[in-house]
Amino acid sequence: MESNRYDVVVVGAGLSGLTAAGTAVRENQRVALVANGPGSFVLGSGCLETQDMLRSGTAPERNEAIAFFCEMARLADCPFDGDIAGGRYLPTILGGFKSVALAPRLLWNAEPRDGASTAIVGIRGLSDFDENFMAERMNERARTIGFACTYAARQISLASDCGIPVTTLRIAKRFDCDPEFRSELRDALRLAAQGFERILVPSMLGLHCSETLIAQFERELGCALGEMPTLPPSIPGLRLSHRLWRYLHRMGVELFQGFPVQKLEIHEGSCTGVHVASLGHPLILRGESVVLAAGRHSADLLGEACVELDPQMRPLTPGGSAMAWNLFAAGALAHNGACNGEDAMEILTGYWAAKFAAAARGSYAAR
Amino acid sequence: MGSTQVVIIGGGATGAGILWDLSLRGISATLLEQGDIANGASGRCHGLLHSGGRYVVKDPETARDCVAENRIVKTIAPHCVDDAGGLFLLCPHDDPAFFEQWWRAAGDAGIRSRWLSGEEARELEPSLATDILGAFTCPDAHVDVFRLVLANMQAAVARGGQFHTYSKVNSIHVASGRVRGVRYCDTRTGEEHEISCEMVINAAGGWAESVAALAGVEVPIHCDKGTLLVLNDRPSSRVINRCRKAGDGDILVPAGPVSVLGTSSMPVPGPEGLTASSREIDALMQLGIELIPGLVNARILRIFCGVRSLYNLKQEGGAAGREISRGFAVFDHETLDGVGGFVSIVGGKLTTYRLMAAHVCDCVSKKLGIDSECTTAKVLLRPAIDRKTHRRAIQMLPQPVAERIERRLGPEVDRVLDSIEAQPELAELVCECELVTRAELEYVLGKSTPLPAHTIGDVGRRTRLGFGPCQGTFCGYRAMLAGFQTHHWSASQAAAEFSSFLHERWKGQAFIHQGQQVEQLSLSHDLYGADGPICADSGEEDGK
Repeated sequence: MESNRYDVVVVGAGLSGLTAAGTAVRENQRVALVANGPGSFVLGSGCLETQDMLRSGTAPERNEAIAFFCEMARLADCPFDGDIAGGRYLPTILGGFKSVALAPRLLWNAEPRDGASTAIVGIRGLSDFDENFMAERMNERARTIGFACTYAARQISLASDCGIPVTTLRIAKRFDCDPEFRSELRDALRLAAQGFERILVPSMLGLHCSETLIAQFERELGCALGEMPTLPPSIPGLRLSHRLWRYLHRMGVELFQGFPVQKLEIHEGSCTGVHVASLGHPLILRGESVVLAAGRHSADLLGEACVELDPQMRPLTPGGSAMAWNLFAAGALAHNGACNGEDAMEILTGYWAAKFAAAARGSYAAR
Repeated sequence: MGSTQVVIIGGGATGAGILWDLSLRGISATLLEQGDIANGASGRCHGLLHSGGRYVVKDPETARDCVAENRIVKTIAPHCVDDAGGLFLLCPHDDPAFFEQWWRAAGDAGIRSRWLSGEEARELEPSLATDILGAFTCPDAHVDVFRLVLANMQAAVARGGQFHTYSKVNSIHVASGRVRGVRYCDTRTGEEHEISCEMVINAAGGWAESVAALAGVEVPIHCDKGTLLVLNDRPSSRVINRCRKAGDGDILVPAGPVSVLGTSSMPVPGPEGLTASSREIDALMQLGIELIPGLVNARILRIFCGVRSLYNLKQEGGAAGREISRGFAVFDHETLDGVGGFVSIVGGKLTTYRLMAAHVCDCVSKKLGIDSECTTAKVLLRPAIDRKTHRRAIQMLPQPVAERIERRLGPEVDRVLDSIEAQPELAELVCECELVTRAELEYVLGKSTPLPAHTIGDVGRRTRLGFGPCQGTFCGYRAMLAGFQTHHWSASQAAAEFSSFLHERWKGQAFIHQGQQVEQLSLSHDLYGADGPICADSGEEDGK
């Protein structure tokens, strides 16, 4: 039983759960992360929009949380660039532009820039992305928002098998593990890139491979390379998720992936265990504190459809007292009612819930 | 300026039925619809082909019509009907005297039914509540309304009938006491057209009153709103009714991969701008859960409201020219108001659309001095698919995909198979829920089909694309790209088109406040921008 004891147990591996686990581990806690699925942000575009950023919390609280997240992402080898105040543009899946605060480095090459000539390169057989559509729209929209830049559509064909129909996921997997595929892709892209300063491709440049490898790919290509958003499965979101998992694992967080949490054991105002449905026998994770960040559904675990939190982010009973002194809520649970584009809130609540959780525990190690 | 014998206003089930009926009689007719097919009440109902069971006690005459029409529609349009059968559940809190009454009345009306015990009922439908006392079987069925309307129009076109969607009638030209023609506007291009005719039939459903006003006459109807929930599951394989005096929320219809629960009933001033309240939705779900407890976990995909246009019974009188019966009324405005050649039809129900059309067409052909007989009960709406085509479809496509596309397209499926043969990558599924291939998508968008789709919503009504759990978030995007790639739209038109389609889909999800669909909607907002910024040329799109 002893092996199932932790300082902080985090439930949920969306953006808030991952941030919470990362925060707790940086506070020198022994951390377990348990999650049924990958969380929904893996489907998203992988960037933090300015609007979200401005909507979330007060400046000092927000900036501290975002700064922590960026540092964690850097250590996890998925560095974010940009500025919290935003004001820079990135293309959307509809070929318009949105104002973005922070985004992975590879996405920033798609930023409209005065005087730049850019090729948008599609892949033959990849039907969920249309380079002609994107180029036509982005030319129009860039003009509208006052940029003098041009986009042209190009298409390449790959001889390697990338599925029928071709998917970005399949390409990304081959990119990760097949050097021959990478050189085929590089050569094809190099041809398409002739006469352009930059080329943009649908997001597909690997899930697991390192930033160094991508940087090397870009160098060999000989021109700036950027990624464009696609329909889910979205590679930037998946890539971020993969790298953060790997980072947390390296930092000593124990990961329980693919197991739904069935029940929170709450005794006399204290959360004493997290019941996990695992194969064979039930698993009970015992944490000095628990951070619940499993999305809106996890409200069921609390027995309430809608939860209020105290200033320390502890869920309250309908009577107005904390359900448990050591139970904290983050993510969608902590910004009730809001329903979209809340990535910055996810980070903010994950960070602060873990901070409170780490501070609240009566130092398990000392007992 | 075109000319025709009869102009039909309204492209719902009734209008389409009339177009087909007239075409069969050899009378030339043109149908004008302000939106796309089945835009009003026809497209916003349960899709229940009534066995008559619901009306046996209160309105035996309507029940008998339903019994007959149920059989006829199953015969003439088998590809539109999922003949699942239905149950009328005997619930413990309902009036047992009503059960007896129902059983006797069903026998009188000629409904084939068996009286099942609670156990027998649960054996057929294991998801039923354990306290159900028993059930009556009946030949209820699900009918795909869009397909039924399309089938009528398509059959009519093959016989020389004409129709124009997105064509709003602006005026009806009346001179010397007779209609002479109508003027309509193509709502997509803004162009105006005129068409001269001998007669005009007003089959505009909820809009009948305003259409009648164009000819200077009154049609007293009132509008009644019904709210329905689309659930992401088929908890029962049969239509589930509650055996009691007809009330709210007591019909669940399995419709393809989803099921539809409804409905409420609420008077509203007009057919537009309908909304559902969360109280209404919760009440409907609660009633559904009483019959099938498992619905507590059902995911609501979408909520929609339709309007029944009911004939205003208060003003019912015995005036000549007014034939009122069976829940629908045919007005001959020549006798009633002195406007020759103008006829209105109001009320009625989907199941009896053909009968309604037959009544109107009898009246119209008499007025035109044409001696003809209604044959719509006997003629198949679409010829059966031949074995060779069927074999070809199964060889080229996975069986479920082949089955669906055959039901949707019938003999036309050959054209889609031809294009897949030429370009195998067109067999790609663009809508995984309704199994729509890229080839089919390009076909319905193309110009060679008799009923071309103009919008992504139109594509949905022809293929059911976007009706599943993603509500168009993924497949709608693909449809947009397809429209762009086939030069149907420019990039900005495509984006605007997708934007308005998506907003329509979002509207139907906006009232859902819990469950997985909330997350699905949130993903859709995330991808395309939640605050309505995706509208192509608003400039707001770019965060300005």
